[in-house]
Parts: sequence; structure tokens; C-alpha cells
Amino acid sequence: MKKNKTMKSTKINGFLWILPAFVFVVGIIYYSIFYTFNLSTLDWNGLDPIQTSVGVSNYAKAFGDHIFWKAITNTVVYFIITFIVQNSLGFIFAAILHTEVKLPTVHKCLVFIPTIIAPATMAPVFRLLFSPQGMLQDIFDALHLGITVNWLANPKTALFILMMIAIWEFTGMSFILYYAAMSQIDKEMIEAARLDGAGNFRTLWNIVLPNCKGTTISLAMLGVIGALKTFDIPYLITTGGPNHATEFLGTYIYRQGIRQSHLGYAAALSVMLLILAICGALLTNRANKGDE
Amino acid sequence: MKKMKRAGSALVASLVLVTAVLTGCGGNSKQAEDTSTETSGEVVWWGWTPGSPTNEEYIAEFNKEYPDIKVTWKQTTIDDYDAAIKPALANGEGVDAFMVSAGSANGGIQIFGGQAIDLTDAVKAELGDDYKEKLNEASITTMTVDGKLKGLGVGTVYSGNLWINQDLFDKYNVEVPTNYEEWKTACETFRANGIEGFVQGAGQGAFNMDTFHAIADNVSPGTFTKAARGEAEWTDPSIVKALELWKGLFDDHIMQDGALGIMQYPEANNLFMSQKAAMVMMGSWYTSNTLPETMKAAIESASSTEAPFTMIPVEFPDIAGTGNTGSMFGDLDYSTAVSATSSNVKAATTFAVWLGASQNGQQMIADSLNVVPSLKSATPDWDKVKLVNPEKQNDAVKTYIENAMETNDNPRFAAINADMNQAMMDVLAGVASGSMTPEDGAAQLATTQADSE
Repeated sequence: MKKNKTMKSTKINGFLWILPAFVFVVGIIYYSIFYTFNLSTLDWNGLDPIQTSVGVSNYAKAFGDHIFWKAITNTVVYFIITFIVQNSLGFIFAAILHTEVKLPTVHKCLVFIPTIIAPATMAPVFRLLFSPQGMLQDIFDALHLGITVNWLANPKTALFILMMIAIWEFTGMSFILYYAAMSQIDKEMIEAARLDGAGNFRTLWNIVLPNCKGTTISLAMLGVIGALKTFDIPYLITTGGPNHATEFLGTYIYRQGIRQSHLGYAAALSVMLLILAICGALLTNRANKGDE
Repeated sequence: MKKMKRAGSALVASLVLVTAVLTGCGGNSKQAEDTSTETSGEVVWWGWTPGSPTNEEYIAEFNKEYPDIKVTWKQTTIDDYDAAIKPALANGEGVDAFMVSAGSANGGIQIFGGQAIDLTDAVKAELGDDYKEKLNEASITTMTVDGKLKGLGVGTVYSGNLWINQDLFDKYNVEVPTNYEEWKTACETFRANGIEGFVQGAGQGAFNMDTFHAIADNVSPGTFTKAARGEAEWTDPSIVKALELWKGLFDDHIMQDGALGIMQYPEANNLFMSQKAAMVMMGSWYTSNTLPETMKAAIESASSTEAPFTMIPVEFPDIAGTGNTGSMFGDLDYSTAVSATSSNVKAATTFAVWLGASQNGQQMIADSLNVVPSLKSATPDWDKVKLVNPEKQNDAVKTYIENAMETNDNPRFAAINADMNQAMMDVLAGVASGSMTPEDGAAQLATTQADSE
């Protein structure tokens, strides 16, 4: 009886410790989610005292909105390509830096620096780089290659340029996580594989990569959520254009909510984004558990 | 039991606190007590144009008459203005005077007018009961919401013309283009000399609308405005023809390569200001660059070390071959509104009225050549205003401003709502890139117009 009382007391004390975080999460994050959900049922410009309730019509509108589907398609393509390329590069760089390469710290810094540079800082540089009057064009002209750099102006190539920029920026993150994961692999396992005659590629593919599976899953989860939240790079470099070719959910929500003052519709898109992010995270998690 | 009670109380107290904080952030702005007078107070003035240091110079002039009103200029970029000021206005603090504009542009009066006081009495006190006759008509009509004057126009901007670098035209012996073929030839000549002919940041929709409006007025004067007002169909053959001509500018390389991938500001502006392009589609706001000091600053901003050059406004070429040229269209560039929840309403009203309706304030605006002033009696003092190349620029700029002031009922954005604005940007980019035909583009404009009504 006394033991039960002590346990209860410990539980209460523990509860008091988490109370600030609990209140913060419930009071701010969940409040905001419910507030957004409430907004999504309104037709409101964000300032007008009159708010008209429209039920679920904002959600119905989204399903018939081709720009919304374009944003979803862009997000899927963006995730698949950036995930594969970025993590492959990160994995390869991490593997190389686990060999006896000269000046490893310099190489690590070179790979990781783009990750810590704010997209807002780099956006004007990329805009200039990929401008027909920019540096890349000057190089092509000097080499007489006859190539016109108008890729950001072309709806067929603009998304790929943005993906290239994202890969440049976030490969450092994949690299650092893979590098840490590889450091945890038992060296004897690698040596045993070597003794069994496994070459570099085979060792990487059959020993190192499976041992980094947890990292890959984490990166996939971060990648899904990151792709859904993509805003800064497309907004700062192409503003979602040309003609919505680089529109993402984030940029479209901003366009609807701020530029066009359709706050209710923007909120409905935000709720859908939240649901997609949760589904993405659950699916990735389930894939991980399924493999285990 | 006692500890449980304490925990429960702590939880309830915390939730109440969070709720109280969130309620405070919830945007229910309240009318604050006005602590200012007509001659003293502290005013925070939000806006996007013309930008530092010009706004501070305006404030310095204002302070010569009203030394006890401290005005602080808070600038955002044109694209971020709505996003920045919405929460500030909703919160009801930190904004006393703020810029608004007509129609669907940023700071649109239809959205933000609800947060502003009625300035009718204040402007009557300054100009008398016949104030409407003394001010530009658009400064009253476009700022009136539900019969209340919610903003006081500072000046009007007009578009529809090109600006050219006359020095480059002289250097390469190029004639100012007056039709499609001449425009094409001029661009080819400049390109052969390593310079862009005409430059446009077609990635920034508002300026595409200007060019398209100019083309549409060239094809059939007035149809664009009628369509925007719902008095004509967007599928009118003249609009389709204008879209075809718009597409032609890209196909025939009158627009520089990659135009859809760059912005008017900064890229296209920088190319023109650094003399890497000979022509640009800009409106009357560009006139201030004919002043040596303003041009020097613009050239430096474009990372160029070149000396100021002779820029001249010219009519949009007659690319449709109709002979309908010289069309100009304009809106109030910006107006000053006074926040209804400000605690400095009286001081902010003094500032808004001084800037938009007083002879001194409007004369300063006129001499800056940034906008055409709202007060009809204020015109640039040409004895005081010195241009970069007076011999070549004076007559051209004077005529340009006079023509702009004579423009009647041809709004730039005022008749276009936010949905149509977005649709127009989509259609112009879609037609230019070839992902949409002119006919489909016109049909999309018509559909959006119908939906938004």
C-alpha cells in the first residue's frame, strides 16, 4: 500500500516536470492546428471582420484545383530525385572519408558548408548563376558551346534546377549522418568481409549500407517532411514559376493566403499538408518496422 | 491527494495562461486611446516605396513644419508587404500610418481599408469642401470604400511606355523603334554588339501585365479595361490577337532569352541601369532616374561603375500596325492610410494629409519625379529640377508627364482583383512559354473572371 502511494507520488512529481513542455505543446502547437482547421472552414481574407462559414468546400475546391495537383506532383518528383541523389552522394562521400584520405577535415567542411548557408543568402547567387546574363552563360560563351542558359525560364527544366540546388545544399546533412552511422559499424565485420574476398563495392553494398539502414530511414522521413514543407528555395529563386512549374504546397499556401487573401483556402491546404506529412512519416516508419 | 490537487491546479493555471497569451495574439485588435495631438506624437509609417533614403528625406521635410511629430519609416519589400503588415494590423500595435494601393496590387485598399480611419474630414480641413476638384480623381475614387476615404493618394504612376538608353542608341546608330519590325531589328543590332536590346523580367507578373496592357491598347484601345470591368469578354478577338503578339515578342527574340526566369527587380532593372540593355518596360516611377543623384544610386545598386546616362521615355511601338499608340494607364502608386487602432491617430493623420494634400508635401513629391502628385496645383519646378542630360531629356520628360496627367479612365491594376491578377500572370507566362495557346489563355481569363465575380 505504501509502495503504491510512493509510486503515485513519483508519477505526480514526474508529471510536474513535463508540465511546461506539455502546456507548450498542447497550448501552442495543437491550438494552432485546431485554429487552422477552423480557418479552413471559412471564407475570410484575414482582416475583414466578416468571416463566412463554407464548411468543407475549401477542401472540395482543392481536389479540383489543378495547381494543387501540380504542387503535389512536383513534391513527389522532388522527393524521389533529391532523396536518391542526395543520399547516394552523402553515402559515397561518407565512405570516402572513412578511408585514409588526405585533409579529411577540409573535405568534411567542404561537403557540409552548403548545409549551413541560409537559402536566402544563396538564392541571389543561384539566380545570377543561372541567368542568361550570368556567370554560367559567360563560361559557356567563352568555351563557344552554343548553349543558352535559360533553364529557370523553361517550365520543363526549372524544377530540375531547383532540385540540383537542394541536392547541393542538403547533401552535407546526409553525409554527416552517414558518416556518424559508419563510425558505429564494427570494424571486425568489415575485416571479415574483406577476408571472405569482398571488394570495395560489395563491402559497401552488402555490409555498410545495410548497417546504415536506420539512418536511411531517418533521412527518408526527414526527406518526405522536408519535401512537403519546401518553400524557401522555390520561393526565392523562381517564386513557383514559370507558370507554376515549380509550385510546391508551401509556395501555393503562401500565394493563396497572402497574395490572394484566401486565408480559408490556404488553411485547408495547410491541413492537407499536415495530413500528408503525418501519412508520409507513418509510412516511412512502417516500412522500417516491416523490415525489422 | 494534496500533490495531485497541486498538479491539477498548476495544469489549469498554465492552460489559462497560455489561453490568455494566445487570445492576446489572436488578432482581435482594439481601439487604443489616442495619445497624440495634431502637432505632436510618434508615428510609425509602414510601406514599400520609394524606399530609403527618399522616405527619410520626405520625413525631414515634414519635420520642418511639424518638428514635434516623430515619424519612423518601416520598409518592407514590395512582395513581402502584405505578409508583414497583416499580422501587425491585426495585432493593432506598431502601425500608425501605412501604405495602401488601388486594386489587386500589394496593400490593396479593398483588403486593408477595413483597418483604416475615414480621412474625409481631415482632407476637407486642409483643402476645403471642394477638395475633390483639387485632387487627382483617382486619388479619391480608388481610395473610397463604402463611401469613406480610407487612404490619401500621394501620387499616381503610369505605364505603357518604354524607357530607352539614348546614349546606346546614338552609339550604335539605332533608330528608336516605332513598329514590330523596327523593334526586332533594333534588338538584333544591340545583340550583335553584345548588349541586350529590350529587357523584361517576365518572371515578375505585374510588369508582364503592363506590357500586355500596352499591346492590348495598341490592338484595340480600351478593350483591356472593359474586359477587366466585365464590360467586354476576355475572349474578344482583340485580346487573343494581343496574346499572339505577346508570344511573338518571345519567339522573335525581342524579349531577351530567358526572360521568364528573371525578375523585373532586380535583374531587368540592373541590366538597364548597368547599360547592358538598351530598352526596358517601366513606367513613370522610373522618371526619378533622370535625376543625376537618383540615377547614380540606381547604377551603384546595379553593381555598376558607369556614369549616369541619358534615359528617355518613348511610346510603346505600334506592333499591331493599327496606329493606336501613346496609350498610358495608371493608378495611384501608393496612398497613406491611418490605422484605426493607432494610439497616434491625430499625428498620423497630420502626416498623411501633409504628404498627400498639402502644397509643400506635394511639391516635394512633384520635384522628386517619382510619382505624378495627387494635388493638381503641384507640378515639377523645372527651374529647380536638373536632369542628367537636360538638352535631350527635358522636353521628352515634360511631355511624358503631361501626357500621363491627361490619361483618363485607364487604370493599371485598379480594375483587376487578386484572382484575376494571378490568372493574368499564369496566362501570360503560359502563353510565353508555349504551354498554352492564346485562345486557351483568353478562355482561362474569362473563366477566372466569371468565377471571381
